[in-house]
Amino acid sequence: MAIETAEPATPALGSFAVATAAARRRERILYIVAAIVLAVLIVIPLSSLDAVQAAGLPLVMDRYWFRVTTLIAMFVIIAGAWNIIGGLTGYPAFGNVVFFGIGAYTAGTLITRASLPYATAVVGAVVVCAAVACVIGLPLLRLRGHYFAVASLGVAVATGEVINNVQFFGGASGIFMPIIRSDLLFYYLMLGGAVLTVGTTWLVLHSRFGFGLIAIREDEVAAGVIGVNTTRYKVAAYMLSAALTGLAGAIYAQWNVFIDQSTAFNLDVSIDSILMVLIGGIGTIFGPVIGAAALEFLIQTFAGSGELAVWTQIGLGVLLTAAVIFLPRGIVDFFGGRSSFTREYVRRTLRETGV
Amino acid sequence: MRSVTKRFGGVLALSDVSFDVPEGQVLGVIGPNGAGKTTLLNCISGVNRLDGGEVHFAGQRISGRRPYEVARLGIGRTFQIVKPFASMTVRENAAVGAVFGSAQARMATAAAFRYADEVLDLVGLAPKRSLPVGSLTVPDRKRLEVARALCTKPRLLLLDEVMSGLNAVEVDEALEMVRRVHSSGVTIMLIEHVMRVIVGVCAQAVVLHLGRVLVAGQPAEVLRDRRVVEAYLGERYASRHAVGGSG
Repeated sequence: MAIETAEPATPALGSFAVATAAARRRERILYIVAAIVLAVLIVIPLSSLDAVQAAGLPLVMDRYWFRVTTLIAMFVIIAGAWNIIGGLTGYPAFGNVVFFGIGAYTAGTLITRASLPYATAVVGAVVVCAAVACVIGLPLLRLRGHYFAVASLGVAVATGEVINNVQFFGGASGIFMPIIRSDLLFYYLMLGGAVLTVGTTWLVLHSRFGFGLIAIREDEVAAGVIGVNTTRYKVAAYMLSAALTGLAGAIYAQWNVFIDQSTAFNLDVSIDSILMVLIGGIGTIFGPVIGAAALEFLIQTFAGSGELAVWTQIGLGVLLTAAVIFLPRGIVDFFGGRSSFTREYVRRTLRETGV
Repeated sequence: MRSVTKRFGGVLALSDVSFDVPEGQVLGVIGPNGAGKTTLLNCISGVNRLDGGEVHFAGQRISGRRPYEVARLGIGRTFQIVKPFASMTVRENAAVGAVFGSAQARMATAAAFRYADEVLDLVGLAPKRSLPVGSLTVPDRKRLEVARALCTKPRLLLLDEVMSGLNAVEVDEALEMVRRVHSSGVTIMLIEHVMRVIVGVCAQAVVLHLGRVLVAGQPAEVLRDRRVVEAYLGERYASRHAVGGSG
């Protein structure tokens, strides 16, 4: 026997290899690190409060860093949400931004047209996104692979165009919301959404629901004949993904105060979030978090204007290609996963990715 | 199973196929390539929809139901071209069957993993339970197919050529496994090319040819039947060797 194991009572599935004792120890460390990072992220922004400033403590986060960290948290939600349908279920939804847009527009419309309080509008946006995902998921999820990817992309583009041309939703001039001036509020909302997304992924991966999704990803016909109601599971995963993406959209709408087609239905959001999942580690709990933090940090740091922006784009492209070739299981594989970065690992992954 | 018919475009894959699988028995289905054996299993397990006829199981009509509904009622199956869940270990593959499966299965995860261990013991995969399926040999992958299907706690198990591609020793081991599974109280319907298997474990055999039931009866008699020999080896061979029988 090559590998000695003593499995925990309810292991999460979808680890690409065997959980050795060393790998489990690393996974535990990952959870501890995540808890520490979260605690720091909760405490640090408080340094911006007037009372704290008055006490003479240093300002750890200025407005720029509030913006960057809030954006990273937003992408943790979007990438984590995509991971549920794309990573766990194996349905590459290229147009998940449609739910970001619908979430943003639902919140915006409820606030401006129905004068509902912000919290109610956010809840409404989440519910509407899940409902829309249920309705379009039933036909869309009958498609597989590239067909599903292209169809979901088509829905996103079409929905954006429709909303752009309906006066009720502000038409081409978009929606302006009453301003809520609080960096802290949106920071904590996005951070809370990110924690919710990671927690949801953990719960899914440790439940019958997650077992079914992974079975569907691995082989849908086989999943069916062992008793997985594949249609219901796929639609439920899509609804969950849509609800979380819509949550991010609803928070973003009020944070940004203004939304229109180009901000709410921006396909870059879809593409970036998929790349984040791929870089971080597809189908894992912390992969989307690491990917979102790494990629969004790079984008925010290097995406200047003019010539610099062009070189940044090229550099990011090269980086992504390298990441996909050399790290097919993502960065997280070295921490909570089963691998360590050795020459043998590189050789094996190169063989797997066919380079 | 009554008058089961299935078309693929213009091709009539199954035509008016009728027979019973008696509870508690091992029934063998044989036939040359393209006879419609796998299509028959697909029609029973809900993977393919019928174009005519009905399939009943334990007093209920199951034709027209979706694969998961058929599985819940207690029919498990394997695939000729194995379909393991590649990212999981052997044990996880089997356990997923017990987490879902028939109404009698559907266990909580911890219980499912315990049951998976029992079943892996039965099919002889226990020593390899912690390996990823990618490292399994062909016979072991076929065993895993059986284990995952068994974990769903089926009353009827459909085995699709679990012995094809195995050498003589491996066939013996697989036969022993089928006997163990049968004696644990599961009705079995198996599709096979290997004649030794049919004679070895089946009480009844059905021969399919070009989508129709050619002969049905005791395995030894069926295999001597002139029509069966013709179907497999051609008319000339059958007449030259004058293999008796009812033809």
